[in-house]
Amino acid sequence: MKLWKEAFVVGLLVLVVSCGGSGSKKLPIMGRQEFKEVNGKIDTIYHTIPNFQFVDQDSAIVNEKTFEDKIYVADFFFGTCPTICPVMKQQMLRIYDRFKDNPNFAILSHTIDPEHDTVAYLKDYSEKIGVMDNKVWHFVTGNKDEIYEMGSAAGYMVPVGEDGAAPGGFIHSGAFILVDKERRIRGYYDGTKKLEVDALMSDIPKLLAEYE
Amino acid sequence: MALLIACLLSACGGAKSENEGVQDRLNTKELKYFTNGKRLYTQYCNNCHMDNGEGLGRLIPPLAESDYLMEDLGRAAKIMKYGQKGPIAVNGTEYNQPMPANPQLTPLEILQILAYVSNTWGNEADIMTLPEVQEALKEQ
Ligand code: HEC
Repeated sequence: MKLWKEAFVVGLLVLVVSCGGSGSKKLPIMGRQEFKEVNGKIDTIYHTIPNFQFVDQDSAIVNEKTFEDKIYVADFFFGTCPTICPVMKQQMLRIYDRFKDNPNFAILSHTIDPEHDTVAYLKDYSEKIGVMDNKVWHFVTGNKDEIYEMGSAAGYMVPVGEDGAAPGGFIHSGAFILVDKERRIRGYYDGTKKLEVDALMSDIPKLLAEYE
Repeated sequence: MALLIACLLSACGGAKSENEGVQDRLNTKELKYFTNGKRLYTQYCNNCHMDNGEGLGRLIPPLAESDYLMEDLGRAAKIMKYGQKGPIAVNGTEYNQPMPANPQLTPLEILQILAYVSNTWGNEADIMTLPEVQEALKEQ
């Protein structure tokens, strides 16, 4: 056990910022990497999204198993958000409309205001924007600390948090995060910008194709 | 070449038809209000009511061809300044999601935003005067 631990070569931390791997048509793998020596060979260990457990708009438990054999797009929002959230949801709806019939695709929207955004609220909210069930798009709530943990460096690596000075009382990123079936982050896109969302919509089929 | 021009034209087409005839309808001063209003709209309203005033599902009502907006611009001025809570019906659909207040907006800025939203996306209305907007903001 101890040996195994020591086999990690720590300190080699690489942050892939944007499209790496020029020449290959595969999407980059984002985040910190660690390198592990196995039988004299160096293996790369990629950053992965940790296990989690939340509840969605239909009171269903949503955890890492929900996304087994699926790629998905994640984001953070809150229902009473006075700034970028409605635009993000308008853009996410474009993605939803395009890919909702693909059984290997899903969307995961985390509220960062679980005290206000209860299951009942999220149900109402999602229906009002035109998402009538939880088959593809999960709007999740849960324990606040756990939600913020998902945004942190241990998870999706985007800023989320409470801030009395920010409009609506929360700061959060407008990022859409593309995650593969191994729960590795494969892209960040500005969910408030149509052009970036267009790029995401062309990357989704590329990522799906990696599994064909 | 012709194709390129056609593409360029169609790319600008949205903006042109959206403000159809506004140049003919408004005088120079009103057009200035309209232009400033468009900039303020982008800053204060666009995130919710969207680029083309279409709103978002049954969550955020449209401003484009909104009967609720167009039947009472004074009321719209108050909504912009003081926010809006409780159910309202826009084009026959009920909405019930609070809109936050914008206490920092001056009467002139409200006038300009109104000049824009009530004269674009198919909307057409007379431009209010500054005293009219001030009066509307006073009423309870
Ligand atoms: C945080 C999102 C948000 C922002 C920003 C916002 N609104 Fe609203 N607006 C709403 C919602 C939600 C309603 C519906 C209120 C209700 O249900 O009672 C609304 C209602 C309205 C209405 C009346 C209904 C209609 O569609 O005609 C007008 C007019 C309006 N808004 C104009 C504006 C203008 C102009 C701005 C910019 C100064 C603005 N809003 C900024 C969310 C927003």
